[in-house]
Amino acid sequence: METLGFLIDGFGVALAPHNLMFSLLGAFLGTLIGALPGLGPANGVAILIPLAFTLGLAPETAMIMLTAVYAGAMYGGRISSILLNIPGDEPAMMTCLDGYPMAQQGKAAEALAISAVASFMGSLIATIGLILLAPILADFALTFGPAEYFALFMLAFATLGGITGKNPVKTIVAAAIGLMIATVGIDNTGVQRYTFGVLELFEGVDFIIAIVGLFAISELLFFIEEKAGGGKEKMSVNKLKLTWADIRGILPSSMRGGILGFIAGVLPGAGASLGSFIGYTLEKKVVGSKGYFGKGDPRGVAGPEAGNNGASSGALVPMLTLGVPGSGTTAVLLALLISLNITPGPLMFTQNADLVWGVIAALLIGNFLLLVLNIPLVGIFVKLLSVPPMYLLPIVTMVAFVGIYSISNSTFDLYFMVVFGIAGYLFRKLEIPLVPVILGLLLGPEMEKNLRHAMDISDGDWTVLWDSGLAIGLWVFAGLGLILPYIVGPLLLRRMNSAVANQTD
Amino acid sequence: MILNDRISGILMLVLAVAYGWGATQFPEPFGGSEAVGPETFPLLLAVVLGLSSLYLIVRPDPDNAWPWSRTGLELIIALVVLVLYAMLLQPLGFIISTLLAVGTLCWRMGARPVKAYVTGGVAGGVVFLLFNFALDLSLPLGLLSFLEVS
Repeated sequence: METLGFLIDGFGVALAPHNLMFSLLGAFLGTLIGALPGLGPANGVAILIPLAFTLGLAPETAMIMLTAVYAGAMYGGRISSILLNIPGDEPAMMTCLDGYPMAQQGKAAEALAISAVASFMGSLIATIGLILLAPILADFALTFGPAEYFALFMLAFATLGGITGKNPVKTIVAAAIGLMIATVGIDNTGVQRYTFGVLELFEGVDFIIAIVGLFAISELLFFIEEKAGGGKEKMSVNKLKLTWADIRGILPSSMRGGILGFIAGVLPGAGASLGSFIGYTLEKKVVGSKGYFGKGDPRGVAGPEAGNNGASSGALVPMLTLGVPGSGTTAVLLALLISLNITPGPLMFTQNADLVWGVIAALLIGNFLLLVLNIPLVGIFVKLLSVPPMYLLPIVTMVAFVGIYSISNSTFDLYFMVVFGIAGYLFRKLEIPLVPVILGLLLGPEMEKNLRHAMDISDGDWTVLWDSGLAIGLWVFAGLGLILPYIVGPLLLRRMNSAVANQTD
Repeated sequence: MILNDRISGILMLVLAVAYGWGATQFPEPFGGSEAVGPETFPLLLAVVLGLSSLYLIVRPDPDNAWPWSRTGLELIIALVVLVLYAMLLQPLGFIISTLLAVGTLCWRMGARPVKAYVTGGVAGGVVFLLFNFALDLSLPLGLLSFLEVS
């Protein structure tokens, strides 16, 4: 019942007029970001962080706006899956299977509306799950000592590649590089590390600059390389004819997808791709031969779409309670928290209760806003989708420049961002994932601090790191997280791909 | 050809060694050394990166092709534009440098030159007005500073 009281306070925060306004703005921008080609959710949220700072927003307002952007991006991603058969990101892959056939049959508007309703259901279920689970997990996390935290960070890195990750060694390389960048600057014993006497490096590398460079600038370079500036053909959407019966028809699918997605989102390493995949396969199993999956069955749109959105809300659970994000976008949200001087982790639920519960309430409200925005305004989003990337990406680059410049008015930061952009391009070429780099940058200081505390307590005895049952458990899971992709990953990817291949033939 | 991972592995091995060596050179912190000094964590990282780069050298993944020739040139042009944009943002002012940078990028990505530079100019102007008047943040005017209203 305590939770309910907090939640009501949270609604008080989220419903304050200016918070509501920024929530609406965030939801709109988020859908746009999700829909536009070449702007993934992590990328979009990253570009908007400096702007949230320059606007001088209060912590809870900034966080509410960017959570709305996050939720909106998940809604937006489905638009190009359905209309163009081009998934915006991996989780959206399964939405293409039945969404695109529906669009081809002239039922694009229905597919979009159904997916909006399913997304809403998925997020709603997962947000309720978040409300129930997060306080319990936060309480549990309070029992963690420094050694357990150190092991937990290892677990986060190990599972970040995800079950479908390619080469775990490259995840380790990426994490090590991120952590190395985090050691630059004056450490807490007052020693300068790797600053080479450059004044700008004394305070360390600002991770916002790194994130914007790694994502936004490298994206520009990729588009140039692929000569993908031309954009796609224009699309039109028919007039919406949706009855209550249609919506009732997809409700069970959405519920199942949402619950599964939430579980996949909370578990480390599973993530939204798995959420939408399981959502789709389960729908096929449950509906059985009565369905016409792959030929435009609305339930085939609803299941994975609910799963996808459920997973993205579920992914907020480890981020908020443990301070350990499970995906790229939640890592970027964590970056925002850290730069707002809020220490993420279980203590946040007691020390910054109004912020946490404000964000959770905002997530609920944001979902209603998104549903309301998405059904009537879908035409606008579709129009914007046909803006060719050759105009879009240079403008996005400019927004990134403005954002970074406005943090400190320094040209040095801009050069730094370009350098990170080049590094991001090279890493992506070498198939070294970028998210562990960012996570390393974010978690580096905390990780070192916990290592120090653990060692100070044990007087320099390294075995303290795996001394408790909990710590051993975390280490074992971390080990599994690295090994499992070798065994299960190829199998799962093959099944996802063959599912896609079967349907498109 | 499986050179990419080998070469990057070697480069990262060099980085790991240099980084680890750097860690041994830190001065002892004020107040004597502790179990975990400033060098402990970096040394751990150097070992981790060193071992994984050795793995990449021994068992490299297949390569992605690098864009040589024309596309490579376009990439270099884009990078030069970005660096110049950063360099000229203050001296030329936001509007003019954005006109040039965004315009050139749009043009090189395939837009017609006139349209490209119009896009750049409009985008620069709109963002400048938005920041300076609606958001009360000053972006540099540079060459156009004679337009400044006091």
